[in-house]
Amino acid sequence: MNSLFSGKYTWLHSINPSLKLLTLLSLFVLAINIHYLSFMVGFSCVILTLFIFGTGYSYKQLLLLSLPFLFVFLSTSSSMILFGKGETILFKWAYVQISEESLIRGIHLGFRALSFAMLGLIFALTTKPVMLFYSLMQQLKLPPKFAYSFMAAIRLIPIMIEEYQIIMNAQRVRGIEQKNHFLKRMQRLAIPLLSQSIRRAYRIAVSMEAKRFQSNRKRTYYYEVGFSRNDLLFLCYFLVLLGLAYLLSTHYPFLPNTDVRYLSDLRD
Amino acid sequence: MTSITSVKNLRLKFPGESEMLFKDMSLSINRGEKVLLLGTSGCGKSTLLQVLSGLVPRTIDIPMKCDEIQIPDQWGFVFQDPDTQFCMPYVDEELAFVLENLEVPREEMSSKICSLLKEVGLELENIHTPIQHLSGGMKQRLAIASVLALKPDVIFLDEPTAFIDEKGTEQIWETVKRIWKDKTLIIVEHKIEKILDFAVRLIVFTPDGEILADGNTSMVFTHYKEKIKEYGIWYPGAWDDYKREPIMNNKKELSNTMKLQNFKGYRNREVKIVADHLVVHSGEWVTIMGENGAGKSSLLLAMMQLIKTSGDYLINDVPIQKTKDISGLLYLVFQNPEYQFLTNSVYDEITYGLQNEQEVESDVKEILTSLELTSKKGQHPYQLSVGQKRRLSVATAFLQKPNILLLDEPTFGQDSLNTFRILEWIEQERQKGTIILMVTHDHHITERFATRLWEVQNGKIVTDHQLNKGGKVQREILHEFII
Repeated sequence: MNSLFSGKYTWLHSINPSLKLLTLLSLFVLAINIHYLSFMVGFSCVILTLFIFGTGYSYKQLLLLSLPFLFVFLSTSSSMILFGKGETILFKWAYVQISEESLIRGIHLGFRALSFAMLGLIFALTTKPVMLFYSLMQQLKLPPKFAYSFMAAIRLIPIMIEEYQIIMNAQRVRGIEQKNHFLKRMQRLAIPLLSQSIRRAYRIAVSMEAKRFQSNRKRTYYYEVGFSRNDLLFLCYFLVLLGLAYLLSTHYPFLPNTDVRYLSDLRD
Repeated sequence: MTSITSVKNLRLKFPGESEMLFKDMSLSINRGEKVLLLGTSGCGKSTLLQVLSGLVPRTIDIPMKCDEIQIPDQWGFVFQDPDTQFCMPYVDEELAFVLENLEVPREEMSSKICSLLKEVGLELENIHTPIQHLSGGMKQRLAIASVLALKPDVIFLDEPTAFIDEKGTEQIWETVKRIWKDKTLIIVEHKIEKILDFAVRLIVFTPDGEILADGNTSMVFTHYKEKIKEYGIWYPGAWDDYKREPIMNNKKELSNTMKLQNFKGYRNREVKIVADHLVVHSGEWVTIMGENGAGKSSLLLAMMQLIKTSGDYLINDVPIQKTKDISGLLYLVFQNPEYQFLTNSVYDEITYGLQNEQEVESDVKEILTSLELTSKKGQHPYQLSVGQKRRLSVATAFLQKPNILLLDEPTFGQDSLNTFRILEWIEQERQKGTIILMVTHDHHITERFATRLWEVQNGKIVTDHQLNKGGKVQREILHEFII
């Protein structure tokens, strides 16, 4: 588990987390609004390059991490390819109908899903939660109340996983396995797990207040999160390369240059 | 002397409870006093600390009323559970959290963190160490360091060593005594042996939340010993005063053996426990001792086949290889009773898994009586008190009639009455022929009940002693655990 999520420290780690978050979110929005396949492919390539060479993880780790997303790519695109609407029929058999439009749209959707996944992974792999929340407090004025609650909650996750295993074992000792109803079992696990978590969360909250944590008071910060030249580089990377990809794809489309949205109704 | 914290005519009631926890209770503590609060679990000691620190009602919403209350300006609070005191993942970040709250400038933080850690004797190679990697005792000393940063005059300690082994306990109290020599300390603690020389004033509560005794420690123990004993509160010499009633009428019904040869238990492909060659017979009571994280619990899990194992493992000459092989033969009582409750009432909990309910009807009645739970048989197990939960979980183990009974600190956090009772039950089972294997930190149990001692160190059973009860040899063996 740990070896899967440990990589080198790269320039992407040093990007201001708030800036990174906002940039990647706006790329999400951009990706939804791309309707031409050539540009979509170009967009995906720009992100893929950063994902492979920028995150500081080995190819093996990256491949393992992106396996589930490759599956998403295949499933979204194939269902659209096989069953999508279209006029220029290429292949037809029973319910399966592949048209030129649906083929292009399917591939387009697949790339969109893939770039979503990679944007998310780039962020997750190169951002420490603690730094993200410190940055959110300092740059985006997130109230400390929320920031520290989230950080405390993240700390609880491994404790909960460990507890889950203990409870499973404890119940197995009582002979729970023979009578194996999934729902019943989940219910039995949920009660002790929830009751312990609620108690724990409550205790942490009390101990935070005992340490004079007050959400409305001014506070200093152990980690000063600012901006650096890398942040500029990060922005330029996307501006320049995405601009290039856009120009290339509009002037020299290497793939059929049609709007992937189904607009035939409008044309009629 | 002037009082530094006090409360007059405190009335407090938990929502939903019919009885009041405190009824017109008054208390005053002077500057520099070291006060120890004693009482049975649920008598309100911890709540009182929270009232005096102002946590109740400001943070913890419990309805309360009092004529007058004096809350110290500068106070700190050390809680009992080392895992729920911190909100940050790393040592330096956690201390920085406190410094941030106090608006300490960023430039001064690193040096402050280092000096705080040094003061509590937590010498880490790198201050950016994950808190998870620390032992329980180290975590509590980190908690002490963060309290130290608050520069408190009054420190509230709510059973800071409850989850800690003997060595950690020793370090915690050594640190507290050193750094807070001239501060006011208000302590709730069950394991009192280590602090009696230090706590000068002793306040004993009755189970109803009234003050039974208040005064000089030795005076209180001499004058109120009978009452303290009656309530089941631990006091120095409680073990010496305990006379075991001889239970001799139990015929040996079973004859069991367990053999381990080159036995290993694994977690995440790592060897966590090794037992070279061990044979245990009916009539034996083995206590397993060792530091936290040495592999004691792994040993029990390995025997239950709940983790991967290798080597030879035979019970009554039948080799054990799968979880299925042990069903009915072994039973493990976990440390936290709540983990093992499966049903929604005490009655269902006792009858769970028993085939013929009519036949056991009378048995169950008897068990409920001996558990003193007859009036609570319709209640949810979670609503029971700490002691009742423990008794119920041990009783459900007996009902399965296992050949070998494994117990993980069954007397942990229990009052003296409960502890003695549970031990006597286990002794009865032992005489019937059930093999008893028990993980414990309490050398008194080993001294008085066990017939054999296994010592676990770094994932290995390093010593195997046969004990003849009360013998001289035994004292020497146990010496290292007592320190």
